[in-house]
Amino acid sequence: MKSRTLPALAVLTLLFTSVFGFTSARAATKISLPTQLVLQGANGVSLDSSLYLPSKFPAPAILLAHGFGGSKNSVATQAQYLAQNGYVVLAWSARGFGQSTGQITMDSPKNEIADVQKLITYLGTRKEVIQQGADDPLVGIAGASYGGAAALLTAGYDKRIDAVVADITWNNLKNSLFPQSIQGSSVAGPFKKTWAGSFFAIATLPNSYLGECGNFSQEWCDAFVNSLNAGKPTARAEQLLLESSPSTVTKNISVPTLLMQGESDSLFQLSESIATASQISSAHPKTPLAMYWHSSGHDGGPDESALTNEKTLQWFDKYLKNKSLNFPNFQVVDSNGTISLQDSTVIPKNLQGSVLPLGSKTAMIQIAPNLSPFVAPIGGIPAALSSLPGLGGALSLASSAISSLGDSAIPGGVVSAALLPGQSAVLDSQPLTKPLTIIGASKVKVHISSNRKDATLFFSLVIHTPEGGVKQPNGLVAPIYIENIPTSGADVTVNLPAVVTDASIGDKIAVAVSSTDQGFQLPNDGRFYSVQMISPLTIPVTPLQAEIQKSDFITWPIAAVITILIAFGLVYWRRPRHNNEPLEESDALVSVTNLSKVYKDGYKAVSGLSFSVKRGQVVGLLGPNGAGKTTTLRMMMGLIYPTDGEIAIDNKPIYPGSPALANLGSFVEGPGFLPHLSGRENLNLYWRSIGREDEPMIEDALEIAGLGTALDKKVRSYSQGMRQRLAIAQAMLGMPDLLVLDEPTNGLDPQQIVAMRKVLKKYAKTGRTVIISSHLLSEVQQTCTHVVLMHRGQLIAFGTMKKILTRANKKVESLEDIFIELIGDDLTIGKE
Amino acid sequence: MSYNAEKTLPYRVELYRQIKRKRTLFAYAFVLALPVIVASAVKFGPSGHSGGPTRLGSGTADLIGLATQGAANFTITMFYFATPFLLIAVVSLFNGDTVASEASWSTLRYLLAAPVPRTRLLIQKLKVSLTLSAIAMILLPIASWFIGLIAFGSKPLQTPLGATLANSVAINRLFVITAYVSISLLFTAGLAFYISVTTDVPLGAVGGAIGVVILLNILDAISGLGSIRVWLPVHYSFSWFDALSSSIQWGSMIRGASYSIMTFALFIAFAIIKFGKKDVTS
Repeated sequence: MKSRTLPALAVLTLLFTSVFGFTSARAATKISLPTQLVLQGANGVSLDSSLYLPSKFPAPAILLAHGFGGSKNSVATQAQYLAQNGYVVLAWSARGFGQSTGQITMDSPKNEIADVQKLITYLGTRKEVIQQGADDPLVGIAGASYGGAAALLTAGYDKRIDAVVADITWNNLKNSLFPQSIQGSSVAGPFKKTWAGSFFAIATLPNSYLGECGNFSQEWCDAFVNSLNAGKPTARAEQLLLESSPSTVTKNISVPTLLMQGESDSLFQLSESIATASQISSAHPKTPLAMYWHSSGHDGGPDESALTNEKTLQWFDKYLKNKSLNFPNFQVVDSNGTISLQDSTVIPKNLQGSVLPLGSKTAMIQIAPNLSPFVAPIGGIPAALSSLPGLGGALSLASSAISSLGDSAIPGGVVSAALLPGQSAVLDSQPLTKPLTIIGASKVKVHISSNRKDATLFFSLVIHTPEGGVKQPNGLVAPIYIENIPTSGADVTVNLPAVVTDASIGDKIAVAVSSTDQGFQLPNDGRFYSVQMISPLTIPVTPLQAEIQKSDFITWPIAAVITILIAFGLVYWRRPRHNNEPLEESDALVSVTNLSKVYKDGYKAVSGLSFSVKRGQVVGLLGPNGAGKTTTLRMMMGLIYPTDGEIAIDNKPIYPGSPALANLGSFVEGPGFLPHLSGRENLNLYWRSIGREDEPMIEDALEIAGLGTALDKKVRSYSQGMRQRLAIAQAMLGMPDLLVLDEPTNGLDPQQIVAMRKVLKKYAKTGRTVIISSHLLSEVQQTCTHVVLMHRGQLIAFGTMKKILTRANKKVESLEDIFIELIGDDLTIGKE
Repeated sequence: MSYNAEKTLPYRVELYRQIKRKRTLFAYAFVLALPVIVASAVKFGPSGHSGGPTRLGSGTADLIGLATQGAANFTITMFYFATPFLLIAVVSLFNGDTVASEASWSTLRYLLAAPVPRTRLLIQKLKVSLTLSAIAMILLPIASWFIGLIAFGSKPLQTPLGATLANSVAINRLFVITAYVSISLLFTAGLAFYISVTTDVPLGAVGGAIGVVILLNILDAISGLGSIRVWLPVHYSFSWFDALSSSIQWGSMIRGASYSIMTFALFIAFAIIKFGKKDVTS
C-alpha cells in the first residue's frame, strides 16, 4: 500500500461507515402495511381501525389514540414505529372522527372510553397479542392531547391496561377551560374562550352540513353554547367536564405511567401533568411514574415527535417487555440550552433527575412589596396578548424578545404585548447574583383589591432583564377569578404557571399581573385594581442534571489519544529504513556502485552506474541531455531513492538525511534562496540550518560569490549570474570535502568563468573533491582531472582526462571529438 | 567536521525565515483589518450619524445584533465573522505554504542535502507554522477587544441567550473560545500541511486546503445529509458558542476538539510518511 493511498482510504472508510449507517437506518423504516378493520365500539358505534403487526409475535399490544380533530391515520407514523419495534399496534378513529360513526362526547367514560374497553376485549382475541389470562391481553395505551386523556381515563376505568403514556393532555378539563389559579378555590376561573372556540370549530366546521354543532353530541354542544353565554360553566357543563377528566380516576391508576407535557402549551399547561402525577403518586406511591417535559405543545414549538416516540417506546419496552432501561423519573428539555453550531438557533439542553417536580422542595425569592394600581379597560379592549391558538410559537418568541425601550418609554414600566401599560404591574426581585433555572410551578401570596368586588387577573412569572425587556416564558399566564372581595381587599395564594426558564446574573425575577388577556373572556365594565405581594415568591427547586453524553467526555478524548498513538505508530512502522552499516573500506571519497533509478512512470534514468572518485580529484560528469547526470547527483544528495545500488561518501552510505551528507556541498539545477531575504541573510541562515558546529568560513565563500554591496540586497533583485555565484558560495560554506556542482558556469560571463575555474582548482588542491556536471565540454576539459561519461543512464567511459583523451590509442585533440565518437549522433534520451 | 542532526533548521532560524515574509505580515494585517473595518463601518456608517449605532443584525437577541454592546460582545462577534473563512484562510496559508514554498524556491533540496533529516524538517516547519497561526489566533481577540473598547466601551458581555456576563467572566470565556477555535482549526492546519508536502505549488496547497474546508462547510449546511454531518470535522467549528451559556457546555466542544486533534494527528502522520518516501525532484 502506497502512503498516498492511506489518507484516501481513511476518508473512504469514514464515508462508507456514515453512508452505510445512513442507509441501514433507512432500511429499518420500511413501511409495514396495517390491516384495516371495522370494530364494534360501545352502544352500536363502529370504529374504523388499523392493526399493525410486528415481524415477530406474539407481542405486547399498544392502543394508540389520536388527538382532537385527527383520525387513526394521524398516528400512522408512530404506529409503524412501534410495530417495527415489536408491538402489535391498534389505532382507531375515535367516535365522531374519521370514518368512525357516533358523536363526539369528549372522552366520556360512557362512550369513548367504553369504546376503548371493547378494543381491549378485541385484542384479547388476537393470537398475535401476548395474553396474560382469559380476556387479558398484555396491552399498553398511548396518546396525545385528546388521545392522552383517553389513555389516562381508560387506565383509570379498565384494569386490563398494563402501561400508560399520555402526552400533552388535561388532568381536569374544567380547570383547563376555566382556569382558576387561586390555591384552594373551587370557583371557575375566566373562560379560555379562544381555545375553547378553536376546539369547538375543529369538530364542527368540517361537519358543518350537520348543523352548528357538527359532530358534537347535543349535550356537549349545549354546554358549550350556554357556558359561552354565561361566561362561566353551567352546572351541567361542570358535570360533563368533570366526567371527562382523568382527575376523577387517577386514584385508580396503579400501572406504570409516563406523563409527557409540552412547555409551549397554553391550553393544557405543565401543571396538568403535575396534578395527574400528584394524584397517582398519593394514591399509589409505588406506581412507576415518570414525567417528560418537552418543548413542544398545543402552542407549537419545535417538532418533538421523534423524541416523544422514542420515550414512548422506551417506556413500553421497560414495562411491557421488562427490558432493563435507565429511564430517569423526570426529564426536561430546557429549550434555552445552548446556541446551535451553524445557524445561531438555540439547541435545547436535556435535563434529568430522579425527583418529580411535585413541589416538595422550594426556595424563596423576595419580591418588592409595592402597592401597584392599574385598571381593566372598559369593554376589555385593548387586551394583552400572551398566547393564542395557532399563534403560540410566534408569540412566545415575541414575548421573549420584547422591545428594549424599557424604562425610558414608560417610567417604571415595561412595554410588552403581554403586559400593557396601565393595565398591568411587574413586581421585581433584586437582580440575581447567580444564574437561576426555574423548573416547575411557583406561587406567591398577594393582596388584591378591586372597585367592583370581583377581580379577573392574569398572573405570570417573568424574567425582567437589565435592559428593561420582559421574558414571559412561553407566554404562559395563570388566570384568577375572585368574587366578593371586601373593600379592604383579599389575600389569596396564586399558583403561577409551571415553566422551564433560565435567568442570568443581573436579571430580576418578577411577578407580572395583567388585567386583560385576549385568550379569555373578560369583564365588560372596567375595573380598578391594586395588587401587592405579601409573601416572598416560592419557587420550585428541582435537582436536575444535564443529560451527559458519556461519549463526549470519555469516548471522544480516548479516541483522540488512541488516534495520536496510531499516528505515531504509523510514522514508526512506515518509516524509511536505511542500511546504515559501514561499507567496505576503500580510499575512494565517493563510490557509486551499480546505481539504478527507474521512475514511477517506468522511465529508466540511470542503470548500473558504477564509478569512484578519490580525494583531490576534479571529476567531470558528462553526457547529453537526459543521460541521467542530474538524477545521479540528486541520488548523491539523498533527494531521490535509488531503485538499486548504492552511493557512499567516505565509506558511509548515502540516504535521505544521512549524516555523510554533511560532508557534501551541492549546487544542482539552479540556485535556491529565500527571495525576501538578502544574500548575506540567506547564507547565514543556511549555515545555521545545516547543523554544523565548525567554522562557516563565510568570508571565503563570499569572496567566491563576489557580490560586493549587493550582498545586503534582497535576493529577489539579483541577476541570474549573481544568484548562481551566491549558490556556489553556499555550496562551499564550511568547506565540505565533496563539492557537487551542476552546470556551475551557466549564466556566468567569461571573466567569471575563468575565476570560477581557478576557484575550483584551488579547492581541489586542498585535498577536497569536486564533481562537476556540464555540457560545456571544453570547459570541463580545462578544469577536470577525471571524466565520467554517461549516456542513456549508463556509464560509457570513466577515467582520467588524459586516459579518455588517448582512448583507443588515437591521438585526439578535444573531449568533443571523443564525445561524438563514443555517443555518435544517438541522442535518444534514456532507455524505455 | 562535526554534524549534529538535532541542530539542523533550529526553530528560531525557521521562525525568522518565515516571519520576514510579506505574506505573514499580510495575513496579520487581514486579521487586524477585520475588527477595524467592522468597527469603523458601525461607527461612521450611514445610520451611525442619525443617533444610535448601526445595527449589524436584525434583532437584539442575536450575536451580530449585540456586537456594538461593548468590547466583549464585539470580540465575540469578530470570532463569529472570522471563524468561517478568515481564520481558515490564515491557517491554511501558514501551514499550506510552508513546505510547498520551499519547493518552489528550490531551497528545499539544499535543506535536505544539508542534511536536515526529512521528519525533522517537517516537525520544525510545523512548529513554526503553528506558532504563526497561534499568533493570528491571539491577535484577533486582543485587537478586537481594544478596538471594541475604543469604539463601544466596556459594557459586560450580553449573550444571545439573554445572559449577561461580567467582563472578568467574559475574558475567561474568551480564553476558552480562543483555545477551542485554535484547536478546531488543527484539522485545517493538518490538511493544509499534508497538501503542502505533496505539491510544489504553494498556492495549490493553500487553495486546496481552503477549498476542501469550504466544501465540507457546504456539505455541513445541507441538513438533508442528516447524521452524516456529525462526521464532518467542520461540523464543530462553531461549538464555541457553547461557551456563551450561563455555564459552559463542554460536550460539543470536547467532541469537536477531539475530532480535530484526531484528524490533525493523522494528517501529520501521513505527511511525514509521504515526505519520507518521496523523491524530491523540485
